[in-house]
Amino acid sequence: MNLNTSILQYIEDVKSGSFTVEEFISATIDRIKMVDGNVHAYLSLNDSAINDAKLIDKKISSNEKVGKCYGFPISIKDNICITGTKTTCASKILENFVAPYTATVVNRLNDEDAVITGKTNLDEFAMGLTTEFSAYGATKNPWNIDYVPGGSSGGSAASVAANECLASLGSDTGGSVRNPASFCSVVGLKPTYGLISRYGLISYANSIEQIGPMTKTVKDNAFLLNIIAGQDSNDDTTIDNKNPDYLNEIEKGIEGKKIGIIKEMTTADGLSQEVSTATKESIQDFEGLGASCEEVSLPTIPYTVAAYYTITSTEAGSNLARYDNIRYGYEMESEGYEYNSYISKSRTKFGPEVTRRIILGGFVPSAGHAGKYFLKALKVKSKLISEINTAFEKYDYLIAPTAPVQPFRFGEKIDDPVTLMLLDYNTVTANLTGKPAISVPYSVINGLPIGMQIIANSLEEKSLFQAAYALETKTTIPEVPL
Amino acid sequence: MVNEEEIIKVAKLMKIDLEDHGEHVGRVKKMLEYFDILDQIDLSSEEITSQEKLLAELRKDEFIPHDKKLIESLKNFREHYVRAPKMN
Repeated sequence: MNLNTSILQYIEDVKSGSFTVEEFISATIDRIKMVDGNVHAYLSLNDSAINDAKLIDKKISSNEKVGKCYGFPISIKDNICITGTKTTCASKILENFVAPYTATVVNRLNDEDAVITGKTNLDEFAMGLTTEFSAYGATKNPWNIDYVPGGSSGGSAASVAANECLASLGSDTGGSVRNPASFCSVVGLKPTYGLISRYGLISYANSIEQIGPMTKTVKDNAFLLNIIAGQDSNDDTTIDNKNPDYLNEIEKGIEGKKIGIIKEMTTADGLSQEVSTATKESIQDFEGLGASCEEVSLPTIPYTVAAYYTITSTEAGSNLARYDNIRYGYEMESEGYEYNSYISKSRTKFGPEVTRRIILGGFVPSAGHAGKYFLKALKVKSKLISEINTAFEKYDYLIAPTAPVQPFRFGEKIDDPVTLMLLDYNTVTANLTGKPAISVPYSVINGLPIGMQIIANSLEEKSLFQAAYALETKTTIPEVPL
Repeated sequence: MVNEEEIIKVAKLMKIDLEDHGEHVGRVKKMLEYFDILDQIDLSSEEITSQEKLLAELRKDEFIPHDKKLIESLKNFREHYVRAPKMN
């Protein structure tokens, strides 16, 4: 059975009787058992996946109403809650945490008969860009297992790329969907802030993070967004998207559209030669598709990484205060400890990156330092929003490579915090401004993928998918060698 | 320039035990030094903006029953209370 298929093709095949849902899910689980020892995309598997598939087959055979997903297999990042299952955030501090409720996005998938394959690996609490900060070991890049898969949704991206599911849900705070999508050659969307409910997503930096779909094709991504987007009474930051059909007119093309090539993201010092060359080729492709491209400058971009880390660390410092081993935590005897020392001792279970972000999160908004860091970061955010809104008065899309470099070897960058932070250089702008952005697999050079990023104005996902689909038609990506 | 004593003081306030995490202080310092780039941008005419939402648009603040007594799943739950370490 060909597991390297799209969701839309899968649905056609199930409808036509080419195979049953159970057959496909069984084959997917066999695939996971075969390759995940090397890839380590999953932290836990759904033991009832086959039973879930059988129930959907029964609906199909008895002509009952079947949900739009027809049982396609999807993995879920392990910071998104599902009732009765472990949700670890790849942290030792939540090693045995069983979620008491289900995230809205998962409920919506279940309502449309998707089959959850399992929970995927991530950098602890979604803080990182390589999955090297997972407390349960790094995920490997299916294109070359000596290389990082990107992060923090590295397990999600790898599970899709390695044909261990047809799609995944990740979360994107500063590029955590798009960066691994680029590194593993899958499509990853960070939607407009508020388009997808965050109810059930374990909080890291509430003001900018979003759940995002990760798929093999642009059309699949639009299909998935149709299912999970929209207002949710359990998340007051969700906005009314008027329920457009993102798949409808996706092949419309981009003839006559205006594209701004973000100067600061395509000329930065950290941009690799390979990524630079691929970017130039993609610009030619966009022009070949009938769009006009010209350089545009957003002068605030060089300050965005510092602003991003200041804001997210502040929110993380607050959000992670709840892990005190009283409300959340693990078995640790309290006898012999004073209150504060007990909490401090129990929090040694946090991994190194989370620990650093908590310290930073206390420092940058503190009395005496807030003026230098936090308040400036908020002003950088405001200035950037003004600049990007001005750019969208002239351009339909803004483009840049998703990441300034290709995947790199494990351990290569982990010792230098500034180098690691700068990997976010091209992605944090969409988070700080709330704009939607998508990473589209563009090429594979020296056996390693490169993704291109397209950014659109708020709630313009429909148009964004049209550009992404148009670019996708210009690419030929080889099969993953795993 | 940030000094390490300030970072250690904040770490303690954030309930981070530096006996186990002392090696992070230098790395946090390096990150804070990178944040100095924020001193180079002119923000004198910038205002901090925020999204506003009317109270009437928010979900009603009402009790929603849950099918399980979540408090009972806390490992230190003792019949009517949660046991916490003593405070000095």
